[in-house]
Amino acid sequence: MEQFIQEFSQKAITLLNNLPKVEIAKAMNILQAAFERDGRIYVIGNGGSLALATHWVADFNKTVFSHNLDEHQRRFQAIRLPTTEEELTAWANDVGYDMVFSGPLRNYIQDSDVLIAISSSGNSENIIRAVELAHEHKVPVIGISGFDGGRLNPLSDAKILIQTTQGEYELVEGIHAIVLHIFTKYFKEYFDHVLLLRRQRDKLHATAH
Amino acid sequence: MIISSAPMRISFAGGGTDLPDFYTRYPGRVISSAIDKFIFIAINHAPYTNHVAARYSLSEEVSHPSELKNTRIREALLDLGIEKNIEIGSFAPIPARTGLGSSSSFSVALMKGLYAYVGKKLDKREVAEAACRLEIDLVKEPIGKQDQYAAAFGGFNVLQFNPDGTVDVEPVLLDYKKRMLLESHLILFFLGTTRDASSVLTEQKANTQKNFETLKRMSDSVPVFKETLLHADFKSAGEMLLDGWTMKKQLASAISNTGIDNLYEIAISRGAWGGKILGAGGAGCLMMLAPLDSRAAVVEALTVGAKTEGFEAACEIPVGFVQAGAEIVTNSYGR
Repeated sequence: MEQFIQEFSQKAITLLNNLPKVEIAKAMNILQAAFERDGRIYVIGNGGSLALATHWVADFNKTVFSHNLDEHQRRFQAIRLPTTEEELTAWANDVGYDMVFSGPLRNYIQDSDVLIAISSSGNSENIIRAVELAHEHKVPVIGISGFDGGRLNPLSDAKILIQTTQGEYELVEGIHAIVLHIFTKYFKEYFDHVLLLRRQRDKLHATAH
Repeated sequence: MIISSAPMRISFAGGGTDLPDFYTRYPGRVISSAIDKFIFIAINHAPYTNHVAARYSLSEEVSHPSELKNTRIREALLDLGIEKNIEIGSFAPIPARTGLGSSSSFSVALMKGLYAYVGKKLDKREVAEAACRLEIDLVKEPIGKQDQYAAAFGGFNVLQFNPDGTVDVEPVLLDYKKRMLLESHLILFFLGTTRDASSVLTEQKANTQKNFETLKRMSDSVPVFKETLLHADFKSAGEMLLDGWTMKKQLASAISNTGIDNLYEIAISRGAWGGKILGAGGAGCLMMLAPLDSRAAVVEALTVGAKTEGFEAACEIPVGFVQAGAEIVTNSYGR
């Protein structure tokens, strides 16, 4: 049993050592730009990827600012789509499963927004439909994929591919969670730093007068 | 109404290598960053008037776009076939012609907005190309392409101008700590005077042949400059600017004059590492990098020195780097 655990963790370590750092950095610049223009960040995924999307939304809307919730007038607007099970089932039942993301996304999407698409295979039709809608609106896409990246990776502006053999969902989803936590941690520290500098400046200003 | 925006920029190194006389022979490179100073363009559909209105530092109302004095608005409207019922206004926190690339920011925001007006969304590259086409091909400005790309893409980038006319945009991935540290080392000093970029660039363009080797060195210095920033080695970056300043002064006589030279020397004597005049030169903004502990002294000396040199309106402009590029801020005519 220990050998099984060792083999799995070794694969995870190798993937972590080869994180696509440049693409992750590009993704964080895209998020920074969305924050600057007060745009919204939509996150979509199927199954376990939907769970990752939901967790990340909570982190980005609150945890990022948690040290100083009241001092940040502008915050991130991260939205998991669809926002309710009612919408999800209505689109799936009435129109088709391919439309569960792009259907609701069309209600919200504006030019200033960003789409984060999470798909281990990169080939989920409903994800690709939403990415195509984002392209129509010239909205940047952060694609978080696994295996060989499928169709999602080449269609993305930030191409975060965790490359594995086909079907390694556990590894891919685990590393995806870490990538999403890198986003959270980076912006949490960034906004703490912004406040620190602001306080130093205010203090200097007060002393000067 | 449609409101579009595009940031101004600070260009650190490689200016002049974005002119075709140079980059058709050797890849041109510029390193620059968008800053938190934005041009806004408002476009209003006015169906019950038959006029075309353009409101900027002047206010024009004409019956056909071909009568407009504003060359950029005129050529853009003619090119898009918009002949009447439109009002266009522009707004900015800083006057035009300061070396912060504002005329191209204007063109980028204008094209982003006008294309949205006719129902077409442009991505960053498309809007950069549209603005280049407007300024270089239609208005026939003797300018390069760096400012249009900087304004359209936003962020901190190395722009490479390839011999085939294509432009590569490679982001400089500075984390927030280095980015904010650079902001605190940087002094943007507005000299309060303006100049016409075209006249300086025309001379610079004519001298391209003569200055080919200098421009080549400037282009090659860009990747090195990028590395100094990535290592947060702002002292080396400042010293490179000092070298670049000396090189650039050889390009066109108007780029510097005695007053600016004196201010530059004053900044260096108070401990600044180096800097440059932003834009095509002649006047505009003096940008210096300085150690944190001599920053205040440099600003004070520049403020006093500027008065002596006759730059009455000179002042420091606080500046931050932004990721945002060309945007549609609002579009009431539908998504």
